[in-house]
Amino acid sequence: MDNLNTNRIGEVIDTSTTDFTAQSYQLYNTPALGALVKTGEGENTIYAAVYHATTSSIEPGRKPIARGQDAASEEDIYAQSPQLSKLLRSEFSCLILGYRGQGQICHWLPPRPAHIHSFTETCTPEETAEFSRSFGFLNILINSELPVPADEVTAACLRQLAAAAPDKQSFLVKAGKELARILPGQYQRLKVILERIQL
Amino acid sequence: MTSENKLGIVIGGSLSGGIYVRLDGEALVEDMAVGRYVTIQGKTKRFLGMITDVSLGVTDQRLTLTPPAADEKFLAEILSGTAAYGDLKVIPYLVLGNDEKSLLDGPQPVKTIPSHYAPVDIASNEDIEMVFGKEDASHFYVGNPLDMETRLCLNLPELVKRSNGIFGKSGTGKTFLTRTLLVGMLQKGSCVNLVFDMHSEYGWEGTSEKKHKVKALKQLFPDRVAVFTLDGESSRKRKVSVDFEVKIGYDEIEPEDISLLRQTLNLTEQAVEAVYQLRKYFKKNWIKEANNIGDEEDDKKLLDSLSIHESTFQNLKRGLNTLTRLPFIVENAPVKAVDRVLEYLNRNINVVLEFGRYTDITAYILVANLLTRRIYTSYRDRMEQAMAEDAAKPTPLVITIEEAHKFLNPEVASRTIFGTIAREMRKYNVTLLIIDQRPSGIDTEVMSQLGTKITALLDNEKDIDAVLSGISGKNELKGVLAKLASRQQALIFGAAVPMPVAFVPREYDQSIYNEVSRKKISTEEIEELF
Amino acid sequence: MSLNLDKTALQIQSMVSDLKGRDLEHQKHLEAGLNGMKRTPAEYQHLLDKAERSQTTFLLAHPEEIPDATHPPPALPQSYRILATDGSQIDVDRHQLSRCYLINIGRVRLEYGQSPSAALESLPALYARPEDMVISCGSKEVAVEGTLLGIKRSVEETRHLAEMADAASPNLPTLALADGTLILWSLLSKEFPEYVVEDLLVNGYLKYLGKIQNLNTKDRQVALASYISYPGSTDVVNTLRLLYCPYEPADCTSQCDQLPNGKRPCDILSGVTDSMLFERILKPGERSALFASSSSILEKYYGEHRVYFYYLKTSEEIARVELPGWTARSEELLSLSHSLILEQCRLGHGYPVSLSEAHEQAVVSGQDRRIFNQLVEEMLTASKINPSSSAKSLSKKTRWV
Repeated sequence: MDNLNTNRIGEVIDTSTTDFTAQSYQLYNTPALGALVKTGEGENTIYAAVYHATTSSIEPGRKPIARGQDAASEEDIYAQSPQLSKLLRSEFSCLILGYRGQGQICHWLPPRPAHIHSFTETCTPEETAEFSRSFGFLNILINSELPVPADEVTAACLRQLAAAAPDKQSFLVKAGKELARILPGQYQRLKVILERIQL
Repeated sequence: MTSENKLGIVIGGSLSGGIYVRLDGEALVEDMAVGRYVTIQGKTKRFLGMITDVSLGVTDQRLTLTPPAADEKFLAEILSGTAAYGDLKVIPYLVLGNDEKSLLDGPQPVKTIPSHYAPVDIASNEDIEMVFGKEDASHFYVGNPLDMETRLCLNLPELVKRSNGIFGKSGTGKTFLTRTLLVGMLQKGSCVNLVFDMHSEYGWEGTSEKKHKVKALKQLFPDRVAVFTLDGESSRKRKVSVDFEVKIGYDEIEPEDISLLRQTLNLTEQAVEAVYQLRKYFKKNWIKEANNIGDEEDDKKLLDSLSIHESTFQNLKRGLNTLTRLPFIVENAPVKAVDRVLEYLNRNINVVLEFGRYTDITAYILVANLLTRRIYTSYRDRMEQAMAEDAAKPTPLVITIEEAHKFLNPEVASRTIFGTIAREMRKYNVTLLIIDQRPSGIDTEVMSQLGTKITALLDNEKDIDAVLSGISGKNELKGVLAKLASRQQALIFGAAVPMPVAFVPREYDQSIYNEVSRKKISTEEIEELF
Repeated sequence: MSLNLDKTALQIQSMVSDLKGRDLEHQKHLEAGLNGMKRTPAEYQHLLDKAERSQTTFLLAHPEEIPDATHPPPALPQSYRILATDGSQIDVDRHQLSRCYLINIGRVRLEYGQSPSAALESLPALYARPEDMVISCGSKEVAVEGTLLGIKRSVEETRHLAEMADAASPNLPTLALADGTLILWSLLSKEFPEYVVEDLLVNGYLKYLGKIQNLNTKDRQVALASYISYPGSTDVVNTLRLLYCPYEPADCTSQCDQLPNGKRPCDILSGVTDSMLFERILKPGERSALFASSSSILEKYYGEHRVYFYYLKTSEEIARVELPGWTARSEELLSLSHSLILEQCRLGHGYPVSLSEAHEQAVVSGQDRRIFNQLVEEMLTASKINPSSSAKSLSKKTRWV
């Protein structure tokens, strides 16, 4: 299995028009909050930002219990009960920000949701830079109704995208100005997000 | 319209109040200056206007209440140009191109405004050239519009069709402007000049700010300029090439001349009245005769018969003495200065009258008024004759006077020849070029008759109002005028320019000399000069 | 109909007060039992002799050492392996035409120490061929259902244990752990024909135990044990009864048959279970003496796999650990079972974690059952075989008012 794409990090287990949830192949190995991931391929490639991640018991009825009062370290807990890694799973949920249609990246919702079991991959720096050349996706981020505060996700996403940009500072300034344009009259909100993205 | 120059878009405004332009996020507020030109590309018309105000605004009042802290540089950078923006107020003046009428006739005055969101650009050199014209036989390069490389050219024949004024508080460069303008008029103005040169700046040579000597009219146009002087000694000391030493005879002075000097000679009204009486009585030699009046019985009787009071006469005598003490006032002048001046003018040779040491205002007012009166009369007669006989008219004459408010204040404007000339416009082919630092002292009617005004910085409200009175868009131009630099910037508006221009006058230096002289000046001569 | 909790509560109340009264009685019996354990070796020897000669109606345990011996927990090996299985079944639905049954085995392999790892899986096996539905011998056959299906499941659990043990690498000391007794009581109690016992026990269960046994070499240790939680067994107490039995030897049927329960001399120990006894004797982590179970089927069939047992005091309870003879008689394997089971209970908060995980893997919920039935129906329908469901099962499946 060595020739598998090393960017592949998970598999979609829940899907809808606006977002999808993937289970990561390795426990705890979920992409960072705000990171840009993609799923599907070719014309159906969907781009999304991670807005939530969780690790929980595979069985809905079985909750993890504290085990490590006497353990020397966290690693020890897992060593002492090796079945734990088989009974837990990590998932991450992604907000769809765009897709590739007619060869171009479109910053609006795709016509159809992702497939269950489609592979979720991290995006390469080149893809990330291509995606963030324009800022249409900011609108989706800002206005999303997520269980996580939209401003936190927006800021996390911009930080991640900036890391892949050739000139971080200029990217953040452009993104900041775009935010200022789409948040007229919400100065406080703008300020909060900007505080979270400045280098 | 290239995107590098794009400043912003029209967001509101009116024809009477001015157009509001929202600056693009990329454009820097600090780069905008009142007085600069912009072009606005409307849907069907292209407009040229001047920036008259720059302001800041915010989309959300909270930005003003809780602005970014000093160390929040990132936030400040984001906000500027987006939520915190800059606005310009632009007065549209002309419609350029894009319009059949203006394509045919050149730029037209505005009758409407651009539509919403029309893009706004910094005016290009080509636009300015299209409006103001290129340098040619009738267009003289006077300077550059603010922050532009384009040459601003004045249509000189247009300029001299009417009287004009050069204003600005002291030290702002009026003398240089005047000198430059005179050079232009000599070159391309199709007129002849008579300059009353109070400080001896325009004839042979003048002084620059850096205390360098600069060439003046005669050095530049040796065969077209004659230098007359009131003070031969001073001129000789300065090695000025003088063509005539002016002496004024007693019999040349008329009561009107005295009347104009009432304040400077401290004469009472009655004293001025007495002058008229004396003239009537003694005819031409009235001054000589008046001097001879002593304390004798006869004299007293005479005075009584003329209804001249003793104290009035004393007052008058004192005043007259002040006058007659002037070295250039003599009992009998061998040659009438007026005739000589006219002689030169008729030969189309420009005359500059130096005052040498006699920079006293009394001397200035007396001589200027005296000579001008007679010259004007001569011109009037010749014009009437020419019109009657359908013969050649005399070459238009431009008379340059400084300290104009002394001649043209409301009190005396109606009585001086200058007031008459100003009011009559070019009826008899005589116009004025008035130089002054207190335009509020000048009669408003006279001011309104001035065709073109060039004004450097003025800081007195009254002066500013006086200069701008009657101009449309006065309030906006006020802002531009008040913001001119204290040196080397001026505003020109009026008949000679299609729209007001804030400009930097050209340097009065080698470039002018080269332009003017047919032969190049050698290095030695330059060194000699400086 | 729902339960009338008011009326039930009252009855629980009276039960509790009854219990209190009986508790004092019980204490006396327990004391008698504890006393019985405090015998000299000579007395014990006498007891054993008597046990040999007696005919009891109750099952006796044969101590391999003095009965009140206690053994502290041995040290854990640095690295070791636990294998565990558990199973569940979906029984043949008598009201469906398509007869089949599903045995779901949960398998767990846990490795501890140097390189910890875990593998958990569940393996369902669907039995639908005619030959799977019965155990036959010649023209005779017995249906595989009910009790037999349960036994077959146990056999499968053991088979998977053997498979896992065989597949595992030899370098780790291994304990194969099962849940419940190693003695297949039900096979005999129902009086199944011999060929059934042959099939399931001899050629099934015991065969796989043997496979595991054979993996042991001088370099490889594979022990087998089963864990019984909350044992209600009384084999050891029963043996102590002989101390209080006046007859020499004891013969319950002839001597005390007509006496009702509770009136026999040895009934001084009635109500006392082995776990109650060892609760007082053992300290946490200790195991009791080793006993041999003396069930008749063991003698007949089990051979080397004859079942031994000990009681273990875990942090939560007294558990009964049963081992086949070959594990019990090896000092190493016996210690391995003790230390590993104790650790498994510690990790599992009172119950061996491997067994509870195996159970989780194996368990089939009610919903799973329904889905299974539904799936079978759908597939049959899809291939146009007409599934018939009886009216009874239909009415059981759908809820209606």
